[in-house]
Amino acid sequence: MTFLRRTTLGTMAAALAFSLAGFSAQAQTKLRVFSGGQNQRPDLMRKLFDQYQAANPGITIDIETGGATSELQRQYLSTVLNAKDSAIDIYMIDIVNPAQYFGAGWLEPLDTYVGPAATALKPYLPVYASANVVDGKVAALPAFADAMFMYYRKDLLAKHGIAEPKTWDELSAAAKKIQATEGNANLQGLSIQGAPIEGAVCTFLLPYWGQGKEFNDAAGRLTLDKPAAVKGLGTWLGMVDAGVIKKNVAEVKTPDTVNEFKAGQAVFAINWGFAWDRFKDDADSQVKGKVGVMPLPAMAGGRSATCVGGWQWAVSAFSKHKAEAAKLVKHLASPASSKFLAVEGSLLPTYAEVYTDADVNRQAPWFKDAAAVVVAGKSRPLSKDYGQVSDIIRTTTSAILARTKTPAEGVDETEGRLRRVMR
Amino acid sequence: MSAVTGSRVAGQGLWSGPGLRLIAAGLVVFNGFFPALWILFTSLKPESELVKKPITWWPQAPSLANYVQAFTDQPLGRYLLNSAIVATLSTLLSLFVSALAAYAIARLNLRYRQAVLTTIVASSMFPLVTLLVPIFETMRALGLLNTYTALVLPYTVLNLPVCTLVLVSFFQSIPRDLENAAMIDGCTRLGALWRVVVPLAAPGVFTAGLLAFVNAWDEFLLALSLNAGATMRTVPVGIALYQGEFTFPWPIISAALIVALVPMALLIAAFQERVVGGLTQGGLKG
Amino acid sequence: MADRLPLLDRLRDPSERTLGLLLLAPAFVLLALIVVYPIGRLLWNSFFDLRLSGGGGAKFVGLDNYALVLTDQDFWNATANTLLITVITVPGALIVGLGLALLANLPFKRRWPVRLALLLPWALPLSFAGLIFAWFFHTEYGVVNDVLIRLGLEDRRDPTMWLLKPGWAMAAICLTIIWKTSSFMALILLAGLQMIPRSLYEAAEVDGATPWQQFWQVTVPMLMPSIVVALIFRTITALQTFDIPYTMTKGGPGHATQTLAMLIHATTIDYLDLGYGSTLAVCMFVMSLAVTAVYLRHIGRQAQ
Repeated sequence: MTFLRRTTLGTMAAALAFSLAGFSAQAQTKLRVFSGGQNQRPDLMRKLFDQYQAANPGITIDIETGGATSELQRQYLSTVLNAKDSAIDIYMIDIVNPAQYFGAGWLEPLDTYVGPAATALKPYLPVYASANVVDGKVAALPAFADAMFMYYRKDLLAKHGIAEPKTWDELSAAAKKIQATEGNANLQGLSIQGAPIEGAVCTFLLPYWGQGKEFNDAAGRLTLDKPAAVKGLGTWLGMVDAGVIKKNVAEVKTPDTVNEFKAGQAVFAINWGFAWDRFKDDADSQVKGKVGVMPLPAMAGGRSATCVGGWQWAVSAFSKHKAEAAKLVKHLASPASSKFLAVEGSLLPTYAEVYTDADVNRQAPWFKDAAAVVVAGKSRPLSKDYGQVSDIIRTTTSAILARTKTPAEGVDETEGRLRRVMR
Repeated sequence: MSAVTGSRVAGQGLWSGPGLRLIAAGLVVFNGFFPALWILFTSLKPESELVKKPITWWPQAPSLANYVQAFTDQPLGRYLLNSAIVATLSTLLSLFVSALAAYAIARLNLRYRQAVLTTIVASSMFPLVTLLVPIFETMRALGLLNTYTALVLPYTVLNLPVCTLVLVSFFQSIPRDLENAAMIDGCTRLGALWRVVVPLAAPGVFTAGLLAFVNAWDEFLLALSLNAGATMRTVPVGIALYQGEFTFPWPIISAALIVALVPMALLIAAFQERVVGGLTQGGLKG
Repeated sequence: MADRLPLLDRLRDPSERTLGLLLLAPAFVLLALIVVYPIGRLLWNSFFDLRLSGGGGAKFVGLDNYALVLTDQDFWNATANTLLITVITVPGALIVGLGLALLANLPFKRRWPVRLALLLPWALPLSFAGLIFAWFFHTEYGVVNDVLIRLGLEDRRDPTMWLLKPGWAMAAICLTIIWKTSSFMALILLAGLQMIPRSLYEAAEVDGATPWQQFWQVTVPMLMPSIVVALIFRTITALQTFDIPYTMTKGGPGHATQTLAMLIHATTIDYLDLGYGSTLAVCMFVMSLAVTAVYLRHIGRQAQ
């Protein structure tokens, strides 16, 4: 053979040998991701994973579902993580969980993979700089955001010539006026959640924050303003007495509010972001095209405040593939992934700039209104003992709304119990 | 003599007359069927019908859409198979082990039998939620996670107290003469157990079996923690997955519940004769 | 003393002691494999301050956890609720179960609907039974209020909020528990009824006993062993009541319907306080043992 042909053949052979060696040296890593139930859109996550797998041939990703609700997931995880199981590499956890899970030693700090907390969380919405940072370390990265919105019947407000209420008193008056004129016995003024579920923590905090008060300081110590809390809860009870909120509000859970508003049985409703699509798209929705969304009203002399929700990605402290898992998590929390989830599933973005992205706005025009709400949102108490904190707040709030305790009694009890936990 | 009037059976002459008996039957049937019927009706309704006021009982436009969705949202068929296998195996194992233990306690003159019975029953006195983590660790150490064995063994242990105690009480009510007669005829003790005592205690055996089966079928906590893989889940865990953080689709869940109840109902209907059968008539005539 | 028989002979025709050991072995092997380690861990943990929120390090505290239990308001409240539920639902389920068993034992042309109706409540998973009955008692969407309104016993504009009033919520929970567990009792009692020889009733009738007297003189005494068995398990499970109040009221309003098992669940799973949770579990065990010791002694005496 000629010299050229030999060299070409030689080069090709060498290239082939190198690529073969490359493939065999690149072991298949299987990452197992624990994502939530239906509402965390495992179908969309699967698409993200498929894209990642295509771009990273050495990785396969399996999804595991261990429980459809936060409760059941905590049940499952507390068993598996207490046993220090290494079977799962990545968890999708609620925004309230990083503090508790990191404190329990279940989450791997991501600083070595994504940089120190101050820089790693800067690109995201401000709330994550506190929610996902525990003991100065990065405990989790955001998957998608959520917040409590005030949904309302645009058509009814327009019909009665009422503007968007800016305070709770205005809202109460508007609701009463509409209820009186419409004459529908089943029409509620405002639907909120009073059952002892996680959402009840927000029910407690919304009118409290609405007065401009803070629940805890940066170090996690309790700074409860008792009269303000009593006043806040009293606002809800006042609306029950006025017939704006129904009497059995302590039985109302998140799906109940959605189903009732969807059936046209409420003028105003407080609920999470997923409800928008249900009102707009569901086949049996009576309120298609009639729904508006606005920031939560403030208390007189206070400011508007809402509860932030959403889910986070975290790496298990017991994972055998921490580096690969962290890399995947970083990708899942990137602006591209956030935009994908926003466009495909109307999941609220975790970056301010994605809210105003052209593609996103075409798919979900309401994100423009949503942005202001989410950016100004506050996080629930960040505590290593959040499980207990949440239990205390939601149980007493529900008892107050069920009128088995007066607001003063209830707030006293809440403060007493919380003092022992949030020292 | 026994075929005279139905009313003379078992000291229940109070309910003489078909009218009162029909009322009695009606009460029992209503009590047992009403919630199941409510679930059946719900499974034929769309979710929007559930917030109508006043509430509707019979579905306004019955449809099987929820059943279709129940099977497409999740592999319900696979869950049924898993539950059936786990429940059947653990029931059979439970009955076998507890029959042996019950015989030893009821018939043999062992000094420590009170302590043995107490120990077996005492194992059920701890709330399962506090035993979860160590059981999980044990199964993981044995490499049994996400297998049928992982559930069959704990379910057998969970049902051991009930089965043992039920069988002890039934074995005790059978007169010893029958076994002694069999042993004089050349049977060993174990032979007497399987050939004389167990058949005579058949109502107790089938009762214990039904209880164990239903317990194993409906168990949730262990199944959630040990068999979380999609192909190994059991029915209760699967049904809990139809809900979401913010949604609770009663119609679809109802459809899944009905589907899960059907095999149990068939099983009960098939075996209820055995529980209450006339097998005892022959042996106890004397 | 004398030469013991060779092993094989002993196995083929074992003495009572050997036979006893052989027969009990499978049960104890299973118990050892599955529950001995967990129960041991539980007892061990109860002497430590083991709170995962503090990083998970265990600190030995001896009997401090138990001392804490004595002053814990939530513990006493939960125990009171649990005992109340036990005292109401154990006799309740027995009476209803006995009634159902007797009714199901009547001769019908087609017996399977009655027998199936007897067992369906038991076949419905516990947590869903709770959710279904919570729905029945719902203020607006519940069947109970619907029927009461249609009968004119309640005002449509002001229906009773069953699950939001502590007393009514407890009543609703007890009713649901009785509904569910009476079929468990009925199943055991029905099997027991089958074991009563007809000759005893015939003899009593010949002696001129009325059906009511026959019930007390023949049925109840002969059924006593089954009754005791049914009571033992009903009591143990009553002390561990969890699913039904958890799904119906989550322990609300406030802590009015929180049982000991719910407190243990919250402590272990939500608060991640394994030390104290184990202590509470041991307390529950002691309670169960004390209550059922009486029953078990009765069974022991029967065996002699």
